[in-house]
Amino acid sequence: MSSMTKDEEMIYGLTVHERYLLQQELAALTDTMPPRVVWDRIVRQATAEGIIRDPVAWRRSTWFGGFALAATVVLAVIVLPEIRTGSEPVTTHSVPAATVHVEPMSVTALQALMVESRQLESNLRAMPQEPRVMRASTVATISDIENAVAAIDFQLNDPGVQMTPEETELFWRERVRLMKTLVQLRYAQAQRASY
Amino acid sequence: MSKFADIQIDPAIVQRAARGDIRAHEIIYRAFATPVYSLCLRFTRVPAHAEDLVQETFIEVMRSIARFRGEAALGSWIRRVAVSKALMFLRSAWTAKGQALGEDWDETTAGDAVSHGISSQPSDALDLDAALANLPAVSRTIVWLHDVEGFTHKEIAKMMGRTESFSKSQLSRAYQRLRPMLAQHGEEPMAENAVLGSMRT
Repeated sequence: MSSMTKDEEMIYGLTVHERYLLQQELAALTDTMPPRVVWDRIVRQATAEGIIRDPVAWRRSTWFGGFALAATVVLAVIVLPEIRTGSEPVTTHSVPAATVHVEPMSVTALQALMVESRQLESNLRAMPQEPRVMRASTVATISDIENAVAAIDFQLNDPGVQMTPEETELFWRERVRLMKTLVQLRYAQAQRASY
Repeated sequence: MSKFADIQIDPAIVQRAARGDIRAHEIIYRAFATPVYSLCLRFTRVPAHAEDLVQETFIEVMRSIARFRGEAALGSWIRRVAVSKALMFLRSAWTAKGQALGEDWDETTAGDAVSHGISSQPSDALDLDAALANLPAVSRTIVWLHDVEGFTHKEIAKMMGRTESFSKSQLSRAYQRLRPMLAQHGEEPMAENAVLGSMRT
């Protein structure tokens, strides 16, 4: 053992081995994730200071882009068979709002989607913490999905947005799909980290 | 070993962040938020203060990332910013209490510890986390900077505006309080060279 090490033992009152053990124990102490609200606060401050571009505008544009695509797909599914069969021109009738009702089946479907979404949220919370080492592409994908989910929640909770039951269901269906992808990604991440 | 060193960020994402891209900043935040928050929480022990420091740290990162040249790892740079913010906070807290930086060794910390959910019962002293939390702020900070983040006494002294001897003596006194934690862990055989190689001065 070198004289420097002996000096250190004198100074610190711990042997080299004890110091090594202590350092290992300290490094192994559990990390803590900050609450989600911290990021929102950072974005608000950074936006107010003009450090970053307006995130709400970005989120809206991203979501509307995705929604437009989804809507196109839905329209294609609904409209194309009509065109192919050469059916009679569709006439539209205006229906007084008071007479509009949601089919029991739709309510059930919507409730099922909400329950499934809650279950997926719960599964996600039960996952182990994100590993310290993550591939940048995975981080980016997770970030994109979480942004899309946040944008959907923004739309679903915005009192200024009037949605038809069909639109509401479409939003919830998309939310469930994204949450499933997120759970699968996080699960794969946890599996990789455990090796 | 510092947990900041394990995290790798694609340089393209750093470049996007430098242009003010919120998505790139969010990726960086998600990668480093946990180690930054953990560090701030170790220093301050108060979640609300740690959250404020995380906010200050990442706002500073957003402001300055365009000047980040990539000579050091991004994690090292973010850690420096976080440590600087946390030390600034502690300094202001000490100032507010009318204390100088080196005068808190005999400060009674039991009340603080209990108020933040950390028991001060003797039986819990076996828990390293609680023992660390019960150290005075200066000692706890120096233990963490030296033994976990890997800063040298010279670097710590510079950051804290003190001498190397001060840093060493605070570490030594902290070790005396943490020593009982080691008694419960079995001795594990290991090569002397490996042990020596891991040590920092």
